[in-house]
Amino acid sequence: MGLIVVLLFAWMLVIAFLAFLACTFEDLESDIGSQSNPNSQVQLAAQIGQVNRFFNKAISGEPLSNAMYCATAGTIAWLLLLKLEPLVPGEEWKAAVLAIPIGVAVAAAINIIFSMTAHCGRTAAQKRFEQPIYLDVLYGHLLPIATHAFMTTFFITCIAYIQCNLGTLSGNPALNHPFALPLLGFIWGITVGAIGSSTGDVHYGAEREFQDRPFGEGKRVVYHGKITRYADCGVRTQKDIAGFCAKFGGPITGMTFGLIILFENWRSLVGMQLGGYLPNLSASAGNSSVTWAIVMGLIIVITLAVVNYVFVRWVRKKCGPFVGV
Amino acid sequence: MTVTPAVVEEEPTKKGLSFKLPLDETEMGLVAGIVAAIVVVFTGLPAVIKGIALILAFLWGMDSVRKTSKYGLGTGVPSIGVLATGFGVVGALVGLALAKYGGIDGVAYPAVLIGVILMGVIGLVSGILSNNEKVIAMKIPRLERAMMELGMAGTLIILLECSIVTGSLNFDAVVNQVMNTGLIAFMFIFTCFGLLHPYNACLGPDENRERTRMVAVEIAGLICAFLGFAMIILSSFSWELGSIVSVTISSPWKLWNGVSLLIFGVAVWAYFFRMFIKACMDEAYETVGTGMIKTIE
Repeated sequence: MGLIVVLLFAWMLVIAFLAFLACTFEDLESDIGSQSNPNSQVQLAAQIGQVNRFFNKAISGEPLSNAMYCATAGTIAWLLLLKLEPLVPGEEWKAAVLAIPIGVAVAAAINIIFSMTAHCGRTAAQKRFEQPIYLDVLYGHLLPIATHAFMTTFFITCIAYIQCNLGTLSGNPALNHPFALPLLGFIWGITVGAIGSSTGDVHYGAEREFQDRPFGEGKRVVYHGKITRYADCGVRTQKDIAGFCAKFGGPITGMTFGLIILFENWRSLVGMQLGGYLPNLSASAGNSSVTWAIVMGLIIVITLAVVNYVFVRWVRKKCGPFVGV
Repeated sequence: MTVTPAVVEEEPTKKGLSFKLPLDETEMGLVAGIVAAIVVVFTGLPAVIKGIALILAFLWGMDSVRKTSKYGLGTGVPSIGVLATGFGVVGALVGLALAKYGGIDGVAYPAVLIGVILMGVIGLVSGILSNNEKVIAMKIPRLERAMMELGMAGTLIILLECSIVTGSLNFDAVVNQVMNTGLIAFMFIFTCFGLLHPYNACLGPDENRERTRMVAVEIAGLICAFLGFAMIILSSFSWELGSIVSVTISSPWKLWNGVSLLIFGVAVWAYFFRMFIKACMDEAYETVGTGMIKTIE
């Protein structure tokens, strides 16, 4: 196995690790701001008389908002790279070290702007439910949100940058990704948001609020909005929830995303290696180069399905039947 | 994500057009549509003028998103914004493909408006289909008109943004400088947010149109600032050579265009952001430094 192939696999593992970190922070960011699905609890709470001290960060769903941060960071970083790379010929990484954090910082600033407008606008529109704007809640949550978003966007932009230059980094520039940095940031942002929303939201309310309910009971309407009221000690804000979710919900979300990235890249790289198409992927390889990758993908999917089936059976047997079935 | 407001109040409707400030929805649509269409056709105009037209187009788009979503779409607000942008990208591509007919290269491209009209027709048809008893039967009042306006506003916005960055609406130039560079991703997502965020951020029973409009202008200002920054960087980029021309700036006009647009965008953003936050704090039930929550039960 040549050095190029080993380097390709190494970079793939780096990307999977960065994806793990990115999605962990993404989930925590959305928990602090109560974005996406949990936001309905915050929105509803005031309407049914439960005035709360929660941050109402209604910036659309997580996929879109993360796509926005990552596309912004990618665009700014890419524009700066255009300017900076010619200044350090032969040592382009120096330009990246400067350009990526600046682009990500701009994205974090955008996040603060949108969070402020969303919280103030939504709260002002709940005037008749007597929900005041608490200034300490507003200012106290902005920095935690921005720092978590900074981490997410930073890792995603790094992944996009590595992908853009994957071939150059491993020694064969022909293997560089054909998409530009902003486009890759956009696609990755949508993906990280989608995983953070689908996996992470479950652990926001279900874990925190409904621990004492029977297994699998689901969420009754009676309990709506109660999540926003009291914590173990004092009035609850989202900082409690972030601390709680950082122990399980965030890492589990990160693991989901990391595994998706790992399996996805693993199957294509291993498949291409088995087919003998690495390190020089010739243009004439055509469709046959992906056949092995598809076979690998099918094997992975079938294995996961079987493992999942066995696991769910075991859980149901151990924890008893679902309530209401 | 969000819950539908329990009460939807209808605004009192005026009879006829008066063109008194602030403009109502129909007048806003007319003014924005005409101004934006004229600015789109003449691509040689300074970027700041295009920025003003962009703000008007965003106000129009925001109004139509609001019109569509007001009838109890809670979670649907972001989707309507994305739908408008999707309309916009398709319409812009159609317009750009036809731009070479009947235009003067680098000065005026009247044929791009065909894309705008086409998207208006498609929006109208999809609105009629959604409301039709026999097809989907959603029965949302005024959906037909709102969908038509969404398509037209979205297309005008995307075309204006392309025209700001490239300085022309030549198909090859736009594909080279907007699509291949990935700037289209940035434009797409920010146009989405410019359309969906105003109403989404202000959603609630006590939402009012004046506040919502401030957010639209503010986000349009942000977009102008970013596009200005992109123009400054790209003004020294030679597309033929595919690299930065480090010694001479290839187009000083584009550089000054970029700088003026950046300053304009930041000024607009700062003014309207401050205005919006102030308006929210004044109009909220109460703005307090800190406090306990009301105990119930």
